[in-house]
Amino acid sequence: MADKLLDYSGLKCPYPILKLSAQYPQFKEGEIIEVIADCPTFEKDIKAWCSKLGKTILNIEKQGNKIKVTIRI
Amino acid sequence: MMEQYACKYGGFLKCKNLFCEQGQILSEILHLCSDIIEKIGKGDTSQRIDLNIERYAVRRLIDCINRLSKEIEELINLNHELAIGICEHFDVLRRLQRGDFSARASEDSHVEMVKMLGQLINRQRERFLEYIDKLKEQHEDLVHAYEQQNAILSSVGVAICVVDEDMTIEFINEEAETLVGYSKKELEGKVKWTDFISEEFLNKMIEYHKLRRISPSLAPRQYEAKIKDRNGKTKDVLINVALIPYTKKSIVSIIDISERKKIQEQLIHSQKMESLGMLSSRIAHEFNNILSGVLGFAGLLEERIEDKNLNNYVKKIIEAAARARDISKKLLTFSRKEEIGQLQQLNLTQYIINFSEFIKPIIGRDIEIKLNLSEHEIHYKIDPTHLEVILMNLVTNARDAMPEGGEIKISLKETFIDLEYHYTHPLVTPGDYLVLCISDTGIGMDEETKKRIFEPFFTTKPKEKGTGLGLSTVFGLIKRYNGHIHVYSEAGKGTTFKIYLPQEKIKNSNSISIQKEKLKGNEAILIVDDELQIRQSVSSFLKEYGYEVYEAEDGKKAIKIFNENKEKIALCLIDLVLTGISGIEVMKQIKSINPHVKTIIMSGHPVDFKDIKSIDKSISFEEILLKIRNILDGKE
Repeated sequence: MADKLLDYSGLKCPYPILKLSAQYPQFKEGEIIEVIADCPTFEKDIKAWCSKLGKTILNIEKQGNKIKVTIRI
Repeated sequence: MMEQYACKYGGFLKCKNLFCEQGQILSEILHLCSDIIEKIGKGDTSQRIDLNIERYAVRRLIDCINRLSKEIEELINLNHELAIGICEHFDVLRRLQRGDFSARASEDSHVEMVKMLGQLINRQRERFLEYIDKLKEQHEDLVHAYEQQNAILSSVGVAICVVDEDMTIEFINEEAETLVGYSKKELEGKVKWTDFISEEFLNKMIEYHKLRRISPSLAPRQYEAKIKDRNGKTKDVLINVALIPYTKKSIVSIIDISERKKIQEQLIHSQKMESLGMLSSRIAHEFNNILSGVLGFAGLLEERIEDKNLNNYVKKIIEAAARARDISKKLLTFSRKEEIGQLQQLNLTQYIINFSEFIKPIIGRDIEIKLNLSEHEIHYKIDPTHLEVILMNLVTNARDAMPEGGEIKISLKETFIDLEYHYTHPLVTPGDYLVLCISDTGIGMDEETKKRIFEPFFTTKPKEKGTGLGLSTVFGLIKRYNGHIHVYSEAGKGTTFKIYLPQEKIKNSNSISIQKEKLKGNEAILIVDDELQIRQSVSSFLKEYGYEVYEAEDGKKAIKIFNENKEKIALCLIDLVLTGISGIEVMKQIKSINPHVKTIIMSGHPVDFKDIKSIDKSISFEEILLKIRNILDGKE
């Protein structure tokens, strides 16, 4: 169960990861968050973002044109 | 017909020839192009049209779409790389800002600006780290300096206190803790320095504090004051104040001068008593001479006047003169000029027991006497009359201090006064002492009275009740025995007199008695002294030890006696100051008669003659005899 859900549906990349960068410092280290977006390049962006910032992707789930990514901060 | 051959893309193209194959293909290509453009618009730039069409217009369209897709793909990739780079650097900056210096920005971005931003952040981070390292070093230096300063302040041996502008104590060292009796925790930041200052000094101190802030030269840097410690004890202190630069704080060093003041007071008191002694002695001598005349002539008159009334007047003169002589005698005792009587080895313990029994009826029923004597008996060589005068004066004074009754305690014990005590009481030499203590539970006395109590003619008693010579006589007698007397008193609580008598004399008499046999001899000795008392006492002493003695009161007689007995006389004891021929001249003449005869010059004070044997008359007879024996035996 995630501690927080961030829904970036309707936002085009790279806005979702820019917004995520601005918002994630409010979470504590170790907390689990879910991020939803519908931009087709989001999956690629979130993977690069996690890799660069040292965060762990726990799960990627595709629901229609939406993608839900679970991350440990 | 249209519906039958409708184009599957919805008939966008108006193809007149319903069976035109070309028309159908073109329609499909255009729909395909629309799909691709739509996908590119959504951000999917992976789409490409891979068709080889002959018609130039269609081929050109497909090329344009493919080129557009590729360019948009590059733009999107750039955009994403820029965004990821910004996200990453943003995160690194955020971590650095929070003090996490393990964060490092990557420098591998294909976007030059992002790469340079990463390099810039890392360089800035390194600068920060260098700066932090320097700060750490400086901090360590400051900590060391602070610790060193604290160590200096703690071990300087002087109480130190740092006070804020409003006098609140900010820091105190261990010495200051000891001085005031409070711990650091209890004082720092909580208590004002002025809380410890005695009231009489407070206003002066606050004034200095204010003046110092106007200009440091307006207030003295060093001044004396009194402080009160945790137990309410007042201490004399020397305060030294300086402002701490760049702050509104002052540093106060405090030296406890209570002991020093006490010593000074002791010395001043001793000097004062010495001067009073000299003055009293001189006055007493002068008065004694006058009184001898008054008493002598009054005695003659008394014998010759037969008229009873007149004779009575003369008797009154004699009585008054006798009282005056008594006062003179007491003054002489105070000034230590009175001749010392016969010293006796007394059992002091028994003497005090007897004295307490004897004094009981005199002091009254409402006063109880308690004795606190050591288990073993204490002996002391003293003139019993002196001891009686000392005890009588102190006990009757104690009685007078307790008009409504009370308790007198007399204690006697032996003690050793060490160097530490000597440092605070420089007039008392270290050694074995016996301590005689007389305490009462009476009215006590104030500081002023205490300071003057041993002065002759100082009294707090009514005129007819005291002469003011009792305690000064006691003082003089104690000094005669090289002793000390201290008084402790508190108004309303009582008074204690502590007498310290050195026990050296007992030891000396013991050591001399051991050597008694060695002092004996049978040689003939000539004593030359114009003072009959000394001549006779030395003579009888020598005779007691087996010597044959010749006496001469002046030089002329001495030379005559020596001439007559030159073969017999082995040693001549000659006083330095003689009426007529001087002692040295007598010695020379005797030596000219017999160069082998031994000679000793006696004097009232220690002298040092070259090649002439001499002795100080003030030393004991045993010591004189020892010197004679040694010279006769050729040991000196």
